[in-house]
Amino acid sequence: MSDLDKAIAQLRACRPIPEAQVRELCHKARELLIEEGNVVTVAAPVTICGDIHGQFHDLMELFRVGGDPPDTNYLFMGDFVDRGFYSLESFLLLLCLKVRYPDRMTLIRGNHESRQITTVYGFYDECVRKYGSANVWRYCCDVFDYLALGAIVLGASNTLSPPNEHISSEDYADADIEIEVCNADGDIMSRFQRRDNEQRSPNGAEASAGSKMGPPGSGASGSSGGSSGNPTGAVLCVHGGLSPLIDTVDKIRLLDRKQEVPHEGAMCDLLWSDPDEIDGWGLSPRGAGFLFGADIVKVFNHRNDLSLIARAHQLVMEGFKEMFDASIVTVWSAPNYCYRCGNVAAVLELSEGGGGESILARSNGDVGRSDGGMRGVMMESESAPKNGPARRYRVFQAAPQDSRGMPAKKPVADYFL
Amino acid sequence: MATNSHTQGRFAITTRKLPISKSAPIAAMEARLGIPVPEMIFGDNVVAVRHAPTGWRIEFNAYDALDAVDKTDKNMLQVAYAKSWSASREQTSAGIKEVVKPYDWSYSTTYRGTTTPPSSTNTSDGENNETPNLTPVGPAEDDPTRPAKQIPLELLKRRDPILFFDDVVLYESELDDNGISMLSVKTRVHEHRMLLLCRLFMRLDHVVARVRDTRVYVDFDTDEVIREYTVKEGSYEDLKKAFRVSGLTPDGVTVALRDGNKVAEQLPIIDQTIEHVSLK
Repeated sequence: MSDLDKAIAQLRACRPIPEAQVRELCHKARELLIEEGNVVTVAAPVTICGDIHGQFHDLMELFRVGGDPPDTNYLFMGDFVDRGFYSLESFLLLLCLKVRYPDRMTLIRGNHESRQITTVYGFYDECVRKYGSANVWRYCCDVFDYLALGAIVLGASNTLSPPNEHISSEDYADADIEIEVCNADGDIMSRFQRRDNEQRSPNGAEASAGSKMGPPGSGASGSSGGSSGNPTGAVLCVHGGLSPLIDTVDKIRLLDRKQEVPHEGAMCDLLWSDPDEIDGWGLSPRGAGFLFGADIVKVFNHRNDLSLIARAHQLVMEGFKEMFDASIVTVWSAPNYCYRCGNVAAVLELSEGGGGESILARSNGDVGRSDGGMRGVMMESESAPKNGPARRYRVFQAAPQDSRGMPAKKPVADYFL
Repeated sequence: MATNSHTQGRFAITTRKLPISKSAPIAAMEARLGIPVPEMIFGDNVVAVRHAPTGWRIEFNAYDALDAVDKTDKNMLQVAYAKSWSASREQTSAGIKEVVKPYDWSYSTTYRGTTTPPSSTNTSDGENNETPNLTPVGPAEDDPTRPAKQIPLELLKRRDPILFFDDVVLYESELDDNGISMLSVKTRVHEHRMLLLCRLFMRLDHVVARVRDTRVYVDFDTDEVIREYTVKEGSYEDLKKAFRVSGLTPDGVTVALRDGNKVAEQLPIIDQTIEHVSLK
């Protein structure tokens, strides 16, 4: 067993590793991350995860539900630390897995992977408490500066592979499913067929009408899009959202990312902005930060040959939330957030497309199309919006209270005044 | 399991605690309120105190609390780095000036609870025509510097057995990692009295801190209710200074800033009103 495997085993037991080992790990991680571009290219299949926020036991639950690394490829969209009680163990475990399986683990930066934010929201205090000094916090922050800002998932299929071993792939391939929601045991909770517009929103209360699946093996559905490997556009993964300064993915690649998260500029926007039901761009009432509407997402996706943007950053009760005709999705992976919200979490699974080679050759950020400015692009009939990849959301609850070694949250009676 | 009830004297105290609201109820709530709700919105949570003989009731819920948030741009705060942020933007994104849905995004509500007056059927006693409800308390006759009625703190400092206790969050926002805004309701019930505290704790980092406390005191022997509303506010810098003066280390100050109780101890009182109703 290598030192790295030992460290992984120790961290999996939620026990911190010695300071010297953290230092070595962070050094190795930096060497690895420095070679990555601002936008990492990831081939499907991959499981995309949102905020973790130091909820270590729920991260273990995520691995149980989504499959253990390295058997499952993971892409974490940032906010590993702060708020929860085990930021240190959570981040170091993910970092160990990154160093151990670099091609199977992708970590991108969230707005909490920052010196300033971690000083206020818990990670700094946790490091000082667990090591008696801020050294480990400093090592980790140095790694934060090297994390990629985004990822592009290529080769995602427009069909899904079976969610569990009880369903054979033959039975499964017939259903032309665009969205499938599974529970933590891999049982199908609801399915939404492609081009079934009324059922497009799995978050709508009325749309959650149980299983739409016919009896397995009823075959001959005659689905046109069913053949595996039909090209779907790429999926852009980023923690927050878009920036008015970024109209192509290539512009993200040109940023100088190796720094503390700045208070302004494109890098800040990618980690902080939110989609909203507005037209175009808007300014957050807070006086800093952008909001962007459906038209912005659609133009951006079209121009960059994307079928979907996956992002995290905002708590959603159902664990995921698709918006703007499924052109953008929020994925949230911290169940019972802050140990009191009672929300479920989700991960987004994208399957591997059969004809992955040709899709991988597709160039992103096609410059030839960036002529028309913001308006008019949607009017071009040259190509219809790409089919979105088939998406499976695995929804899961918080790990049982007793597995996290702390008392269940019950209000302690006190003589408040 | 989500709902807890306790009866003491002629009063019933009820609390309900459920997970944060789902997407559909949030959308419905935002449409009715006209403002976005905080990201942690406990739309089903409630704390209520009801006087059984008259039907008089006071309740605390998230919807009514958010309805008491300023929905205009009049009381809008800006995050600490807003100036530098917008200055740096002027060259690059001149087109984007419009603030989306201006409102008091710090969720500094002026909520004091939702009261239901006594049901009109209770007029059997012809003498009492006016339906009793909370009315402002004037100065005391013997000492005009004091209000005529006050919550008896000394009695509440006694360590009487707590027969019922709960702590219910109505909403919480991280203000996009610029601080915290949290509205929660604590209640403790003793044999002869109870205290309820609905506290708004809002801290906008490097800008301002606010505490708005609504205390409801019930005397089970006399069926008297006192509601006290206290507004506290101070600049972030003054608050930090006050913590330092009180002997805290820099790290201790950081921790204290997150603690609504500690912040409330240091902030100056800006305003206070006391109301009273006798239900007997």
